[in-house]
Order: sequence, then C-alpha cells, then structure tokens
Amino acid sequence: MNAMTLNMYQLVIMADDKQVVLERILQVTRYRGFLINAMNAEVNTGNNVATITMTVSSERPISLLVDQINKLIDIKSVKVDNSEVQIQQYSA
Amino acid sequence: MTESKTLTGSSLLFEVLKDHGVQHVFGYPGGAIMPIYDALYDSDVKHFLCRHEQGAAFSAVGYARAAGTVGVCFATSGPGATNLITGLADALADSIPIVAITGQVPTAAMGSDAFQEIDIFGLSLACTKHSFQVTDINELEKVLHQAFEIALEGRHGPVLVDIPKDVQLAEVTQRLDKLSHLRNKVKLPLADISKALDLLTHAKQPILYVGGGVGMANAVEEVRQFAEKTGMPSVSTLKGLGAINPDNENYLGMLGMHGTKAANIAVQESDLLVVVGARFDDRVTGKLDEFAPNAKVIHFDIDTAEINKRRTADAAILGDLKGNLPLLTTDLEISVWQQRLQQMKTDFTWRYDHPGDNIFAPAVLKTVSDLMPSNTCVTTDVGQHQMWAAQHMAFNDPSNFLTSAGMGTMGFGLPAAIGAQISRPHDTVIAVSGDGSIMMNIQELATIKRYQIPVKIVLIDNAKLGMVRQWQDLFFDGRLSETDLSDNPDFVMLSRAFDIKSQKITKKSEIKAAVEEMLDHDGPYLLQVKIDAAENVWPLVPPNTANDKMMEGV
Ligand SMILES: Cc1ncc(C[n+]2csc(CCOP(=O)(O)OP(=O)(O)O)c2C)c(N)n1
Ligand SMILES: [Mg+2]
Repeated sequence: MNAMTLNMYQLVIMADDKQVVLERILQVTRYRGFLINAMNAEVNTGNNVATITMTVSSERPISLLVDQINKLIDIKSVKVDNSEVQIQQYSA
Repeated sequence: MTESKTLTGSSLLFEVLKDHGVQHVFGYPGGAIMPIYDALYDSDVKHFLCRHEQGAAFSAVGYARAAGTVGVCFATSGPGATNLITGLADALADSIPIVAITGQVPTAAMGSDAFQEIDIFGLSLACTKHSFQVTDINELEKVLHQAFEIALEGRHGPVLVDIPKDVQLAEVTQRLDKLSHLRNKVKLPLADISKALDLLTHAKQPILYVGGGVGMANAVEEVRQFAEKTGMPSVSTLKGLGAINPDNENYLGMLGMHGTKAANIAVQESDLLVVVGARFDDRVTGKLDEFAPNAKVIHFDIDTAEINKRRTADAAILGDLKGNLPLLTTDLEISVWQQRLQQMKTDFTWRYDHPGDNIFAPAVLKTVSDLMPSNTCVTTDVGQHQMWAAQHMAFNDPSNFLTSAGMGTMGFGLPAAIGAQISRPHDTVIAVSGDGSIMMNIQELATIKRYQIPVKIVLIDNAKLGMVRQWQDLFFDGRLSETDLSDNPDFVMLSRAFDIKSQKITKKSEIKAAVEEMLDHDGPYLLQVKIDAAENVWPLVPPNTANDKMMEGV
C-alpha cells in the first residue's frame, strides 16, 4: 500500500505584471509536483505588480515550491499564508 | 539618452553584442531572422555557420564553458527555433550561460499559425533560465542587456530572446544611457559559518564533495587551497572534474554510478560532507536514503533551491563560494582517516594491463591524457566512452573537461569542441566521441571543414550503443534490443569526404604512434579506435543501490 499525505498550502505571490508570468508559475508548480486546488490572479493593478494567490497541495514540503517560484526572474516575493486555508491531510 | 543615430532593431542587436564583448556567434539563417543576418553583413561579429541549429546551440555551450563567458547562437523561427531546444535544455541542466536569439514571424502574423510560426516563447519555459519575447522595439535594448545579465547572474543558465521580424526592422533613435536596466540582486540570507566551523572541527572523517559550481563560481583556486590547507580528502562529480588538482594525494576521483571504489567507499563512511557547488544528483548518490548515511552536511551553493532539495543540510552557506569557503579553513586532526583513504586509493588504483592484442579503451584515453599538451580542452559525447574519459583522463581545470552531465545529451561532443576551439584558438581541443553519438551531429564535420577548425576527434568505436548494450546485458537478460551499429559508415572514408585527416587503429601496439600523429597534426583529425564490443564500464553502482554495493568487472 502506498501511504501518502497530501498537505494543502496557500501561497501569495507578488510578480511583475507580465502576460507570461502566470504560465511560468503554472509550469513550475506542476513540474515540481504540486496540484493547484484554487487560484486567483489580479493583474494590471496600475503599479505593474500582479498578485497571485494559489492553494496547492502535495506530499512534498512547500519550501521546495517556494524556492523554485522565487527563482523565477519575474517574481518579487512568495509567502506561505495558511491563515485562510484549512490544512487538510488526505491519506491514499 | 546618448546618440541620436537611427538604428534598426537588428543593428541595435549587434551594438549590444559589442557592449557585452561578443566576438563570435553560431547560427543558421532563415526567413524570420533575415533582417538580423542582413545587419550581420556589416558587423564585426564573426558568425560561424553551423549545419544544424542543435550544432549552433552546442557550439555556443562549448564556447561558453571553455572560455568562461557567454555563448551566443542565432536561429530562425519555427523549425530553426525548435532545433535549439535540446541545446537549451542541456545548458539549463549544466547551468551554462548562453543567449539564444530567435527570429519570429511579424507581430501582426503571430497567433495565426503563420508559416514557420511556433510559440518558442511558450516552449522555452521549461528549458531556459529565462526568456523574452520582444514585441515593442523600445524594449529591445533593455531586454538584450538583461538577457546577458541573467545568463551570468547567480547560477548561470540559458536565456532566449525571441524577436519578431517587424521588430528587427523597426527603428530606434535613442540608445539607453547607461546600464539602467540592471535588476536588483537577490539578497541571500546570512551564511551559517559558525555552525559549519563547529561541525568541521568535530568531524573525524570529513569528505570534500566538489561539483560543477566550483568552476562556474570561478573558485577553483579557493577550493584547492581549502583542500590543501585542511588536508581534507576530496571527491568530484562528473562536472566538477578538474576543480581539484588531480595530483592531490588526498583526492580520490569521481564518485557516483561509475565513480572510483575509493571515492564511493570514503563518502559512504564519512561523518561530514562539505558540499561545494554540487546538488546530490541521483547519478551521484545512488539510493538516496543510503547515501553517506552517517554524514552531517555543510552545503555551499549559490542557488537557495538546491539547499535541502534532496538532502537536508546541517549548515547551509548560500552565496559566493569564492568569498565563503576560505572562512571555513581550519586545521583538522584527520591523519588516520587520510592514511586509510590513501591506502584505499593505492589498493584500488586503475589497471591498464588488459590481456590480448585488442585495444582497451581506458588505455587509449590514458595515453591521450598523458601525451596531450597541458591546457588541452577535452569534450565528450555520452555513453561508455564518456565515463572512460572521466575515469582515465586527468584535467587541470573544469574548463578543460566539457561533458553533457545533467542532460547526458548524445551529439554534444563534436559541436561543443568546435565552440571550445573557437574560444581558445591556441589550445588543443579533443572530442572523445562514440560511434553512436558522433552520428547525432555528424553534419558539423562540414563546419570543421569550412573554417578549418583543428579539432582532434578520438572516436571510440565499439559498433554499439555501448552503454545501453551494457545495461541490456546486465539488467535485461542480455536481450540486445536495437543497440547494434555494426553497419556504421566507414568513418575514415567519411572524414575524407570532409577533408579531415583520419586513421583507424585496431591493435594495442598501434596506440602510441597514432595518438602522437593525431596530436602533431596541424589541422582537424579523426582517430577511429576499434574496441571490443563486449567491454563494460566498471565499477558500476546499479540503479537505486547504495554506492558501496558496486559491481566490478571480472
Ligand atoms: C540524445 C540521446 N539519445 C539517447 C540517449 C541514450 N543513450 C545513452 S548512452 C547511449 C549509447 C551511446 O553510444 P555511443 O555514442 O556509441 O557510446 P558508447 O556507449 O558505445 O561508448 C544512448 C543511446 C542519450 N543519452 N542521448
Ligand atoms: Mg559505441
């Protein structure tokens, strides 16, 4: 049997407001093994900063994803904010 | 704003290349990049026409790696751009700074499935460090400067700039004043030096584990001094070879799947790993859970994302290795450990006394290594010959051993050697290739012919996809599926077709004279070395196995 614990996290990402930035975040998130449960992106905010909030889940530690998103050139900051998320654990 | 001369986007590109000291580019023209090739006509930049865009990308990689600078390549839209992708992926995996410029269909045609239109910007997301698509001529200069900056900043990597044809033709009247495009550097957290020093002074069996990051950080001297002053026994990854002086008595050679027995046992027994510019790659660690099971880890890296990615660090030191490593230099009381490992190194030294008349590939490569001039740059392709080169040749700097490590890309060796030779015209450049790999970019012999590039090619010919054949023999019941190449072309005749001097040897007794003839020859040369198809690379740590459980030859 394959025991697996999925943890859920909410990320708040500030990024340069460029068309491609969402694609970059989606690509990295999928490739590094995280599922996207929900996403909200507010772009064109006038100050050229986009705010993206994502709820993701994975059996992997969230620091792996945070470090990789942070490495993207257009990203200004990434924060894990679990105040809004009910941390859920699934066992499969 | 400075000059008010009118420039097209294309001529602006060459101005920016000049700003960054670019003298050579590798490329292949086509419809959507014609304005750039037209501007090239008037430029001082020397362009090398490769015979496939993959060749151009690998030549840019070889150029960058051999000279420690940024390599540049050009390709047209659509198929030209897609042909670059393997080279970009290779550069990403090995952290090589290259800038790839692609032509794109005009902005008005973009998104209409136009002729030779492909979304290379979209395709680039997974195979570059960063990429740009410039749809506004006023952004072009800034983007081009940023491309060079990003390629070299922090952990190096490939950057792609896609330029639609109308932007290449559009005019600008102003150039940027100064480097006002500079991005804010990321601040790295403070290094955990005191914790690391504490770990180090308590260690009884420490090992210095050296990776490709050392060369890229320009920290070869610092790492060598650290190894000398502390007397710490050291091991190297494939990409780290050349960082430690091969004559250092405490250096044990390469670790990992085809590493030396001494290196792998030492790492498994160590109580502290000092990791410099390495990333616990699966080819290095074998079964991760059983890798160096009793060792604490001090991890030096420029990339935060490598810390704790595959192995938890007890102390992490982020940032510039050159400045950080000397802070850890201290006296160690490890003479018992040193002596044990030196003894192991002697006990398990390589043997070249292979029976019979047939040529033993490790012996040829050892001979080449012994006879080649001291600053020779060696490139390899991928397979058994690559591992034999890593095991049996000695390099005095990482920029003298260029191999596709992270991606393991067959076809790398020949075009990378071309790039290396162009960046270092006064050094000898040798490509060690295999009979499978060389066919993957064989068209680059035409590039050698056209520019009379004096690359020496040592072709280890087992008439097999040898590395795959070895695995089929060992792990797939000897079911040899699609690994026979006994109908390869006649490589001597093929070389002749490209005006490249060539010789084939089949016997041990011919090795020395043939290698000397090759090295003495002024121009390009191909030495075909026939070896026994059944030879295997030893030792071998089978996949997902601990590194001390290696298989050895009979
Ligand atoms: C582009 C690419 N395709 C496939 C492979 C898988 N592969 C790894 S080694 C190898 C055999 C290489 O044969 P050759 O160049 O003759 O080297 P040898 O192992 O015989 O020395 C193959 C097919 C690869 N590494 N790269
Ligand atoms: Mg072969």
